[in-house]
Amino acid sequence: MTNALAVSGLTKTYQDFILDHVSFTVPNGSIVGLIGENGAGKSTTLNAILGLIQKEDGIVSILGSQELSRDTKEYIGVVFDGSNYPEILSPRKLNRVMKNIYKSWDEQVYFRLLKEFSLPPDKQIRQFSKGMKMKLAISVAFSHHSRMLILDEATSGLDPVVRDDILDMLLHFVQEEDHSILMSSHITSDLEKIADFIVFIHEGKVIFEKSKEELSGQYGIIKCGAAQFDALDKSDIITYRKIDCEWQILVSNRERMQKKYPEALVVPATLDEIMLLYVKGEK
Amino acid sequence: MKGILVKDLYIARSNILVTVVSLIVLGFGLSFLLETSALLVLAPAASTTAVFISITGDAASKWNKNVITMPVSRNQIIGEKFLFYILLAVLGTVTALVPCAVLACFGADVTLYALCLYGSIGISATLLAGGISLPCAYLSDPEKSQIVFMMSFMASTGIITGLVLFINLFLPVKENILPAFHIVLAISVICFLVSYRIAVRVYRKRDIS
Repeated sequence: MTNALAVSGLTKTYQDFILDHVSFTVPNGSIVGLIGENGAGKSTTLNAILGLIQKEDGIVSILGSQELSRDTKEYIGVVFDGSNYPEILSPRKLNRVMKNIYKSWDEQVYFRLLKEFSLPPDKQIRQFSKGMKMKLAISVAFSHHSRMLILDEATSGLDPVVRDDILDMLLHFVQEEDHSILMSSHITSDLEKIADFIVFIHEGKVIFEKSKEELSGQYGIIKCGAAQFDALDKSDIITYRKIDCEWQILVSNRERMQKKYPEALVVPATLDEIMLLYVKGEK
Repeated sequence: MKGILVKDLYIARSNILVTVVSLIVLGFGLSFLLETSALLVLAPAASTTAVFISITGDAASKWNKNVITMPVSRNQIIGEKFLFYILLAVLGTVTALVPCAVLACFGADVTLYALCLYGSIGISATLLAGGISLPCAYLSDPEKSQIVFMMSFMASTGIITGLVLFINLFLPVKENILPAFHIVLAISVICFLVSYRIAVRVYRKRDIS
């Protein structure tokens, strides 16, 4: 499987934050979710990939090119959180702007998407709700034959119905085998629905890059008391946390742990729980 | 570049319309008090304010971040703003010439000498102001670009005065007013081009987030 995006050793230093040798890949035809708490480095990573900030070190190869040329950008659709376009414009005026920016701009697709999303073409963007603005941004991203979508917190602040519509569109997009999506979000339930791989960033470092199947099928949490915790083989523990009188222990092989500790309660771990235990747990 | 120019024209359309109408009205109004051609001093600079409205709007709507992800180079983004500035200055100059031409048809005293002199002063002041304010607006806080422009326009009048005094050291300005202001105009053009090169170079390395 070839990669639509390969990030290797990406480094950027700020006064109070370091993006530290971040590496991961986005295989063709897949959706990769970038998770992490606020300030973990998700947006910095995306900004560096998109050439918005200058990287100090590392290699970014996107759609087979290490240079983010105008030809490469032609096939990258980007959606940021919030407003993306001058609010004085209407979708129809935005169409005139975009068809002079993208060589591959497809008016028919754009107006079809506006219709599907019930977006009025002559209303100013400033009069749109947040959900409508997001739908407009996604319509634009889909209207220039993008092969790679990069979404930065694109579903945050949207109601569940709009989010579901957008997630369906994203799933439909990756039906083409040369289409891929890199999506940062702290709404992990969205990623649990659609992502194929999860990249977890914490304090500027990649903690893990794993397939969603591995995380949901193999990771688990042992819930036990102090005595049981003391009896555990410490090499089985990824991280643990004590909440009131209960110990929560993150393990990477749920079934093996259940066999090894038959008296322990081992439950599947959600992405939220995995993230919480990595961030707040002890090792 | 055409796409971002179209976007700026949409944003500035109403502002441009107001400026054009105001300049024409002002041109006819001024004719009762002083030479209509004096409007050429003010017109190019007055019409370029739309550029700073677009820079402020770009920052507010995060367009300046979004546009970098599109197939447009950073050089083109800066180049478009400088081009837009020049286009508006030319539009302002042409608009100011309309009342001059109409009044000249009705026998008003509008001389080519006055047009060239006031035109040179106006365009010089506009180019110097743009040469200072455009890079500053882009490289510092775009939301304060309109204030920066007003301050740079004041600074440009001071620079012109300084240049005239400097030229006077080797060319008596009182006897050679027009050539002296043509030299000022030439220096202003060079400053504007240098400013463009500096803005491009700095913006290319700038982090946008």
